[in-house]
Amino acid sequence: MSIIASNLHKEYHTRIKDEGLRASLKALVNPVYRKIIAVDDLSFTVEPGEIVAFIGPNGAGKSTTIKMLTGILHPTSGDMRVLNMDPTTRREELALHIGTVFGQRSQLWMHLPPLDSFSLLARIYELDNKSYRMRLAELSELFELQDLLKTPVRKLSLGQRIRCEIAASLLHSPKVIFLDEPTIGLDVIVKQRIRELIALLNREEKTTVFLTSHDAGDVELLAKRALVIDHGRIVIDDAVTSLRKRYLNRKVIEVTLNDTQSPLCLHLPQGAYAETPEAGKLRCIADTRQISVSDLVKYLVETLSFNDLTVSDPPMEDIIAAIFRGEEYQK
Amino acid sequence: MSTIRKYTGLLSCYFKVNLAAALEYRTSFLVQAFGMTISNASFVFFWWVAFVQIGGRIGGYDFRDVLFIWSVSSSAFGLATIIFGNLNRITAIIVTGELDTYLLQPKDVLLSLLAARTSLTAWGDLFYGVILLVLSQGRDPHAWLMYLLGVITGSLLFTAIAVSAHSCTFFFGDTTMFSSLALEFVINFCIYPIGIYPLLVRFIMYSLIPAAFIVHLPLAIARSLNYGLVLLVLAGTLGYCLFAYWFFYKGLKRYESGNLIITRM
Amino acid sequence: MKSIVKYSGIARQSLLNAIQYPANIISRLLMYSLFISVFFCLWGAIYQGGEVHGYSLVQMIWYLCFTELIVFCCRTTVYTQMNDDVKSGAIAYLLVRPCHYIIFQFFQSLGELCVNLVAFGSYAIVLALTYVGVLEGFSFYNMPYILISFILGITLNFFMLISLGLTAFIWEENTGFYFVYQKLIFMLGMFIPLEFLPVWLQSIARMLPFSYVAWAPARLAVAYSSEFRDQVLPLQFLWVFASVWLAVFCYSRAVLHIQGQGG
Repeated sequence: MSIIASNLHKEYHTRIKDEGLRASLKALVNPVYRKIIAVDDLSFTVEPGEIVAFIGPNGAGKSTTIKMLTGILHPTSGDMRVLNMDPTTRREELALHIGTVFGQRSQLWMHLPPLDSFSLLARIYELDNKSYRMRLAELSELFELQDLLKTPVRKLSLGQRIRCEIAASLLHSPKVIFLDEPTIGLDVIVKQRIRELIALLNREEKTTVFLTSHDAGDVELLAKRALVIDHGRIVIDDAVTSLRKRYLNRKVIEVTLNDTQSPLCLHLPQGAYAETPEAGKLRCIADTRQISVSDLVKYLVETLSFNDLTVSDPPMEDIIAAIFRGEEYQK
Repeated sequence: MSTIRKYTGLLSCYFKVNLAAALEYRTSFLVQAFGMTISNASFVFFWWVAFVQIGGRIGGYDFRDVLFIWSVSSSAFGLATIIFGNLNRITAIIVTGELDTYLLQPKDVLLSLLAARTSLTAWGDLFYGVILLVLSQGRDPHAWLMYLLGVITGSLLFTAIAVSAHSCTFFFGDTTMFSSLALEFVINFCIYPIGIYPLLVRFIMYSLIPAAFIVHLPLAIARSLNYGLVLLVLAGTLGYCLFAYWFFYKGLKRYESGNLIITRM
Repeated sequence: MKSIVKYSGIARQSLLNAIQYPANIISRLLMYSLFISVFFCLWGAIYQGGEVHGYSLVQMIWYLCFTELIVFCCRTTVYTQMNDDVKSGAIAYLLVRPCHYIIFQFFQSLGELCVNLVAFGSYAIVLALTYVGVLEGFSFYNMPYILISFILGITLNFFMLISLGLTAFIWEENTGFYFVYQKLIFMLGMFIPLEFLPVWLQSIARMLPFSYVAWAPARLAVAYSSEFRDQVLPLQFLWVFASVWLAVFCYSRAVLHIQGQGG
């Protein structure tokens, strides 16, 4: 196992204080603390070579969990093993074998070309010169960094910087890599590129990838398995495909109409509703507990004339949103 | 032993990268260092005026003595902020969570975070001290030897003071203000003759605010040639550094437990 | 009229903000006490009684309390903020606000300045009284002039700091200049009265603005004379105008620079 977490529990005490000066003085003499449970009895495992997406709304405990797994924070109770090491007691040793990318935080020197930061990191991670050179050549080929390596980081675009950032965290060939919001703030094309790189890395080097993201696309296109966390607890631990299949029993049927006839006169059967994303298109969403896909298609064939019809699963985004709205999850 | 070698190697690597970063802005590097030198020179001017008006000694020090304590303080502070350029930013690093970056590295947290930056103006401080020493002490070997001692122990002590003061952030929330105050106090007690102060203050300078170990003892040794006092200087420095290291890691435990109070005082 | 309401609103906000963090004020009061105490020890050791260049020890300590007061009042964050605004390009966003940037900054700091003047002013008086007792020959009739001189000194310093901060658009790292300016203020009046300097330097210093920040008001306060008053107040006014002009000039250049670069 790459990562084992069993009954992880983490609570904080924060000082609370009312508004105003008087309350400030009172809090000085007699501080009142409130217990906040950030992570509540969390258990899961990650196999070597897996890509796991760790998703949940803000404040669900995602970063706390990642911080515990990397040894930054110590759990209040519970047990964990990353690469058979306890992050709490063997942080420095573990750091040699894991990589981390925090989308919002840079480990590169802003004013220097990435190459300088890389050689410093090589030193920090105790690489000898020869293996550092080899690894650097490998990574710069894989990530297409050749042209970026000698430009000061502050002059790189965000996408280029993230590529360097990820390469930097891979210099020491970690067995597990933790990515916290790796695609945040990137445009669609760059996002796609980063995802491809992560997938490639996982394929080529069998690196275990543990990533958190707000972006449903990251989960959908990258991860094989999703851990959904809410209020510090795992709500769902399932393969992404079955999550999609089982969840909500919904299908999306998209129809490209022959002409711009108004589809408003439609009287869809019970369990289906329609929307028009653009003129000449129709999107029907069917609840398969009430109506089967074939019945719906049959109805559409009978009432409309169209060029094209596709049946698909709802996008991940909708699924995730639905989970957090508290809709029932059917096993 | 190999650990020490590893860490000196790492520190020198940090130093090189930092210097490279500083040299990215070549002109501003020179302007800054030059500005610092000029700015420091103004204090010599002050002392020159003071000694010209009065003549003789102030608080038991003559003009040369004052220049000696100035050159040691200036170089020591310069060296400290060249190698450990983050020493004034420790609180900011803790409060903004930048600390995580260093926690994720397989190296000593305190050393890495201190060394991850250099100060440009510090070069001005360092060289200013050297220039002042050459001008004021000539070829007096004892003065040179004690200058070296003071600069090394002094830079360690400045760092240790900053680390201890900033580590209070782990316990009480943002202490930027308090920390800069602490450094300011030490520097102030370093640059005036110890003889002008009442006894109680002199005692503090041997303990809480270790200005005596940075400049006044080395000066006393250089003048009296009582080299036995070197041991006292070394012991004081070691003690203070160990305390700072211990205190930082004690604070770090609180950070790791997540119970840090991050609010402004 | 509207703009008076607007800018006084800004000043009020910054005043509230300044009181919000008492630790800030307290730690700077401590710093102030440190400097004054060290000077007390130092000048106590230097003076063997009598007068030096027309200053008795009592006058000297009062003088230093006042000069330090001026510099401490001005230790607003205006220089660093200006610097950051220019470097981060935030100044471009401030351009869209419906008020003049320089005036905005001035009023923003005004609240803090007032808090400082009251807090440090009363503290300075208490400190000087405990160290050396009352200032002989001081008359409350002269207070208005002394106060005007203080305000002019602080304003002068303020606009010089703004100008310095704005130079960041030419030299990215301009802290060096800041230090040099600071030390000029220190040496030409703050640490020692101008009268202590060699004669040739005195005559140069009188022609430069730096001594009118601290030396002129403090000297007026500890050794008041109507001749001296008539001599320095007009000069202070003159330099304040010059510094405001300089700040506005630097600002317009900074704006041109930003617009030319496209942000």
